[in-house]
Amino acid sequence: MLTTQDRPAEGQGSTRNFKLIAQHEMGGFGGMGEGMSIQIAKDGRRILWLAHESAPKNFTGLDVTDPKNPKIVVQTDLPVAHMRSNSLEVSGDIMAVAYQTQKQGMQPAGMELFDISVPENPRSISFMDASGPTSRGVHQLWFCDGEYVHMAAGAPDFAARNPKDDQFYRIIDVKNPSKPTEVGRWWLPGTREGDTDAPPVRHEAGKDFGFRAHNTNVYPQRPDRCYLGYLDAGMIIMDISDKTAPKPICRWDNSPPYWGFTHTVLPLFDRDLLVVTDESVLDGGADWPKLIWILDARDEAHPVPISTCPTPSRDVYAGRGGRVGAHNLHENVPLPTSWFSDQVILGTFFNGGLRAFDISNPYQPVEIGHFVPPAPRLSPVGAVQINDVFVDERGIVYTVDRHTGGVYILEMDF
Amino acid sequence: MRDPAALFGSRPFGRALSRPGAGRIPVTVVTGFLGAGKTTLIRAALAHPSGARTAVIVNEFGEAGIDDVLLRTSSEQVALIGNGCICCAAKTDLHRALRNLAAERETGLVPPFDRVVVETSGVSEPGPLIQSFATDRTVATHYALEGLVTVVDAVLAARTREMAPTFTEQVVLADRILLSKTDIAAPGVVADLRLHLAALNPEAPILDAAEMRADPTALFSGRALKRAPFHCDAPTAPADSLYDTFSLEFDAPFDWPVFTRIMDTLTGLRGDDLLRVKGFVQVSGCPGPVVVHYVQHLSAPPEELTAWPEGTPRTRLVFITRGLGRARIAAVFAAVLALAGLAP
Repeated sequence: MLTTQDRPAEGQGSTRNFKLIAQHEMGGFGGMGEGMSIQIAKDGRRILWLAHESAPKNFTGLDVTDPKNPKIVVQTDLPVAHMRSNSLEVSGDIMAVAYQTQKQGMQPAGMELFDISVPENPRSISFMDASGPTSRGVHQLWFCDGEYVHMAAGAPDFAARNPKDDQFYRIIDVKNPSKPTEVGRWWLPGTREGDTDAPPVRHEAGKDFGFRAHNTNVYPQRPDRCYLGYLDAGMIIMDISDKTAPKPICRWDNSPPYWGFTHTVLPLFDRDLLVVTDESVLDGGADWPKLIWILDARDEAHPVPISTCPTPSRDVYAGRGGRVGAHNLHENVPLPTSWFSDQVILGTFFNGGLRAFDISNPYQPVEIGHFVPPAPRLSPVGAVQINDVFVDERGIVYTVDRHTGGVYILEMDF
Repeated sequence: MRDPAALFGSRPFGRALSRPGAGRIPVTVVTGFLGAGKTTLIRAALAHPSGARTAVIVNEFGEAGIDDVLLRTSSEQVALIGNGCICCAAKTDLHRALRNLAAERETGLVPPFDRVVVETSGVSEPGPLIQSFATDRTVATHYALEGLVTVVDAVLAARTREMAPTFTEQVVLADRILLSKTDIAAPGVVADLRLHLAALNPEAPILDAAEMRADPTALFSGRALKRAPFHCDAPTAPADSLYDTFSLEFDAPFDWPVFTRIMDTLTGLRGDDLLRVKGFVQVSGCPGPVVVHYVQHLSAPPEELTAWPEGTPRTRLVFITRGLGRARIAAVFAAVLALAGLAP
């Protein structure tokens, strides 16, 4: 006979096997997006570059050489309020920043490259326009090799049949950073005006979030592949051996019956696994469950889902405010400043916090730690909204709140 | 097309851990005779700030459930398991309690606790209890045995050990020993008892329960102690001829299949008498030690650590046996290593 008694109500904060070593509220502008990248400056300082989720701030450089004592090095403003710089990546001393506007047709929308060799003084090298009548510009980008930016973007010449399908996969050559040049692109057939293919069958009303690109991950282990999240189209592995003509190899789509918004595809090459996330985009658990999926990718043309990571309980989290469900992962970014693991997956779950999973048995992922801070000060939703995570090669974890909490710096204990 | 085994990666022991049991919920099992002061110690630990977020499983022995009444006021959560002694019929109840706690933790029915303390009934034999962490897949997935803590009543210990062989087993198998009621016992009695306990179990640190009440981290975590988890003083002659505790050390790394053959031989032939074997094994190809833990015939899943905690990497195994003796165990190791062509 088992009984349980005496369960006093507990505050929202809950931490297991993570240790909080610092929080920085970014000078009152703690609403952070999904761009996190580390630069080792010429003088040895370690600068964490962070994209803000919305105006007025563009990006912030945070000196995290001593992770217990982070210091703002520079914080920049956006020129107008109707844009955001949700995503950024650093390769060497060049930083690429994605600019997206609130509505189609607005400007400036595109990508800007900065010389950050002097972190205090980021210097614009070039701006690539991606605005257009049906474009909101660039939502996300990937830039790790110093040569190509892979991004989810609209374009001046791309007329989307449905305004929700405005961002597609573009490959930009930045070997000459003062003249970024598109070398190839791919969009889901049927989404562009003039396509001979039929438009994709839309998800039902209320679940129709768009057939457009999100994460565009490319790794040196397979430089001929792009692992592409394509929101309501699911995930797609692209053959980019000819960058001028990307070709899909496979598409895995879990929705319906799920809620679409496939966001990230993380390949674990030595294990033939893919880790795929869908992003929660509705408050109050309305689109629960948003999951981290594990796929058997031994045959890359036929990936098979074999498990999902345990997700925060809807009963516990849905009523706390804001979103609950999967979003970003630590993506084993192929840079010397990034931690690598194909045994532990770290994912963000908005008000479900940051969670770590042991996937050594890929059929049975197990949660081995979580970090759910209390609602940050001035949070508009009454709960934390952990948005993105990056782990540096020292094993220091940086995770950000979407609204006000800024960055939390953690150590792992598992 | 690669074999499905590829999906598990090339690491023989799965994820390398930062410490033994990392990522799982630590479980401290508190044993000791009726009236030894287990409940008092657990209450004190729960009242301390470091005792927050602790789930307690109490073995309700007898009809009154007094221990439960005492604990319920101070712990965040108490699970009661019935049916008397935890070590036999109620073992499945403990499994069920641990499984349910893990499930309820996920679904929010209970707060997200960080550790579990199991208070055994006084007459429990701890062997079968710690075996359960190796025999139940669900339990082993979520929980790791952090330590077996035996509370010894300094006043009544002499009488208890005459009366009950279980007392000796509780002491021999302990990871830590807590002496209670030292403030009311005669100083000479306490000193003699310490010597007796150290001879029975040279591995386990012996702590004064009064000290522990001031800083109860020792109850929850062996990590808080100054001694390394498998540190052992020079082997001491056993005071009780029934049991012996000794360690074996090896400088050359083991091939894992050879090591498992040796342990299979030992557990197959004399598992009943192999009360506990624990230690770090240096395995060829593994940068960190592999932590092993056997209880009689059973082995907990081996864990590889990311790095050696201290000193030169070398295999060190601590044996707690019922009369097997160091020489015979060492001979089995030597014989199998020689057959495998790996003798030093």
